[in-house]
Amino acid sequence: MRPFADLSRPHRPLRLLAGAAVALAIALAIGALFAAIVQVAATQAGSRPLDDLGYLLWITTLQATLSTLFSLVIGTALAWALNRLSFPGRNLLVALFSSAIVTPGIIVAFGLVAVWGRAGWFGALGLPIYGLPGVVAAHIILDATFAARILLERLDTLPAARLKTGRSLGLSPATRFAVIDWPALASALPGLAAIIFLLAFTSFPIVLLLGGGPAVETLEVAIYSTVRLDFDLGRAVSLALVQMAVCGGIIVLSALFSPVAPTATGTRLQHWPDPPGLRVVQWGVVGLATIGFALPLLASLTGGVSGLSDLLIQSGFWMALITSLAIATASALLTLGLALVLGMARAATGQQALRVALFVPGYAYLAVPAVTLSLGAFLLVRNAGWNLESAGPAVVIIANALLSLPFAMATLGPPLDAIALGRGRLIRSLSLTGLRQFTAIEWPLLARDAGVVLALAFCFSLGDLGVIALFGTEHFVTLPLLMLRALGAYRTNDAAAIAAIMLALTIAAFFLVPRLTARLAHAGA
Amino acid sequence: MAATNKEAIMFRSTLMALAVLSGLVTGAGAADTLTVYTYDSFAADWGPGPALKAGFEKTCGCTLDFVATDSSIGALRRVQLEGATTKADIVLGLDTSISGEARATGLFAPHGLSFPGLDLPSPWTDAEFTPVDFGYFAFVYDKSKVPTPPTSFEELIKLPASFRIVLEDPRSDTPGLGLVLWIKAAYGDRAPEIWAGLKPHLVTMARGWSDAYGLFLKGEADMVLSYTTSPAYHAIAENKPNYGYAEFTEGFYPQIEIAGILKTSPHQDLAKQFLAWLATPEAQATIPTTNWMYPVVALGDKLPAAFPALPQKILTLPEDEVTAKKSAWIDEALAALR
Repeated sequence: MRPFADLSRPHRPLRLLAGAAVALAIALAIGALFAAIVQVAATQAGSRPLDDLGYLLWITTLQATLSTLFSLVIGTALAWALNRLSFPGRNLLVALFSSAIVTPGIIVAFGLVAVWGRAGWFGALGLPIYGLPGVVAAHIILDATFAARILLERLDTLPAARLKTGRSLGLSPATRFAVIDWPALASALPGLAAIIFLLAFTSFPIVLLLGGGPAVETLEVAIYSTVRLDFDLGRAVSLALVQMAVCGGIIVLSALFSPVAPTATGTRLQHWPDPPGLRVVQWGVVGLATIGFALPLLASLTGGVSGLSDLLIQSGFWMALITSLAIATASALLTLGLALVLGMARAATGQQALRVALFVPGYAYLAVPAVTLSLGAFLLVRNAGWNLESAGPAVVIIANALLSLPFAMATLGPPLDAIALGRGRLIRSLSLTGLRQFTAIEWPLLARDAGVVLALAFCFSLGDLGVIALFGTEHFVTLPLLMLRALGAYRTNDAAAIAAIMLALTIAAFFLVPRLTARLAHAGA
Repeated sequence: MAATNKEAIMFRSTLMALAVLSGLVTGAGAADTLTVYTYDSFAADWGPGPALKAGFEKTCGCTLDFVATDSSIGALRRVQLEGATTKADIVLGLDTSISGEARATGLFAPHGLSFPGLDLPSPWTDAEFTPVDFGYFAFVYDKSKVPTPPTSFEELIKLPASFRIVLEDPRSDTPGLGLVLWIKAAYGDRAPEIWAGLKPHLVTMARGWSDAYGLFLKGEADMVLSYTTSPAYHAIAENKPNYGYAEFTEGFYPQIEIAGILKTSPHQDLAKQFLAWLATPEAQATIPTTNWMYPVVALGDKLPAAFPALPQKILTLPEDEVTAKKSAWIDEALAALR
């Protein structure tokens, strides 16, 4: 990619500058979090040694690797099957699948239990849902569907001309996949792999709920207990650095090996089904995925219906709903902005070192243990002399946006690159300004993806407990916080109803927002 | 009973008189705000928080604010991080397994109160912390599904592996830590043996009580580590009398929830007034059906009949030993389960 990159990409120094500024700001913010913790840790007495670190690293890496491999293989198969099939309700099913990754892990885990558990719908089958298989299964539900969503977008937006040529050449299904589909998928896989590995590596509530005991755990659990129970901040920082070193290695690897996307971005105009024999297989894949992935979510939806009437009359619920919607909207817009700035900067350069430097900070947030983030954010706000009550919402919005950023970059990065490479000469020859390049070419092609990013970030923020939950505030209560409180007070019906509402909002967002942005873009064009 | 009530009322009125006087002297006005850091379900709309706020504000001429953190340990850690600049006057909801560590921080002031009329396993002698409520850790089961629950840890570990239990992780949860102490108090050096015996029965070690209890209610386990008072919740709030707790012959380990005043609080007298009031029958009457724990004073008829009689055999561990060896005991239990 290097030989022709600089010639064919439009020259955009401002975009590079803006991207570098954002990347630097994120890196500095994470550095500042750690500095704040280290400062306090220095005042504490000696730390306990890191004795079981070897075991923790081994089991965490094993679990994360298995989760990543299975998620990618299943996600690819599902995207392939969905791309070939056309049926009513396809978009709704895709929206349901997409909502898995942003659903709070604990809801998915309980959904899994409701379907496959001892007393679940299919409990009689006796599937192992605890221990390593259970943890990997829950991660696959979350992550394979996300992978499928991203990969499907790549396949659905393959240029119609390319499909037409392929079809007229009479390519076999295997050749078609290898020649037409694979290049489009391959560009997204490293970024996806990194995200899924990081999510699985840092997983916490799922691992404790389904891990079956301390034999299966993650470094994240150890870091949490070191901060909370032992209040040994020095040890926590050491453990966090180990986790970040492993995760950082994965991020850099994925940045190095992520190939540039071929020309993509169109809309799904051309439907080219495979032969009937293969379609049976594809229906099988979609059917199994629906049972495996959608049922746990459906179980959560139906489980919450009975508690609705009690919940809807509580004023606390409405306050929390409004707070959550406001926070989620703000952080979705911020995520989209950051991802566009970073993605456009990356697309503007073919220099590998610069591309990695623009990539890593966007992903770094996923590598930092949640309890470290929470602790660091708390200390930063205090050190800066701000009031936690008033700074709280801003901190949560920024934190949630950074949480969604890797997903947003994985979604927008490849098409931005594809545009810069595929239409770079055209843009140069027309001497378009950066702004015109965006409004005339990039935005119309990206609008749907931008909608996906907005929906994703909105839902992530909706489901996230927020970095300030740990240390608490008086009046700042979001839906997930309210759900945890209800669970902590035997109010399982309230909690189930809140979970169902969050899930319904999530599915609605995934169904509606991408259509909305696509329509807006085409109305303007 | 009547004597207890009367004592408490006299005690309270004396204290209030003192508080009013000191208020006059220091010029503290009606605008005083007492800030209490506590765990989230205590401060929630359905928890004891709102009723306690309304009850205390009726007489104190002040504002009582609860600040909710994710757990009582979270509240302590926040105060430790905030140091001298903390807004908190009181930390409420710590328990006897973390009290030694909280005391060692040196952040808490002696309360100078005496609590003669309490109905607790032993007389109250703590100089820094005051009692809020208490309970006993226990395994809760569904009587309609488990007709004959085990009567001891040793009987439990001899059951076939198909008898499943769900526990809480001692590193992230108070009942989880409570079980480590319970088994240690009952079995001492034999504790790892009991933990290893529990391993085949273990569904999982959930992050917190609510996750574990949720798994149990979904039918994933035959018993869950909770409190002796949990069945009372189902009986009273849900009209489901079919839950019970397993009577263990080793005895039961208590969890006493406590509160302490921070040295940095500018409202020392108001804080004392609140903590004294908190241990009166008036305040304690809100505890059983909001926090689902035992009140620290005898309530007579006001204690719902569904609350079980207190267990006969109580186990304890010295506070300094808990503080010093807690981490080693947790590691020992986790190692036996791996």
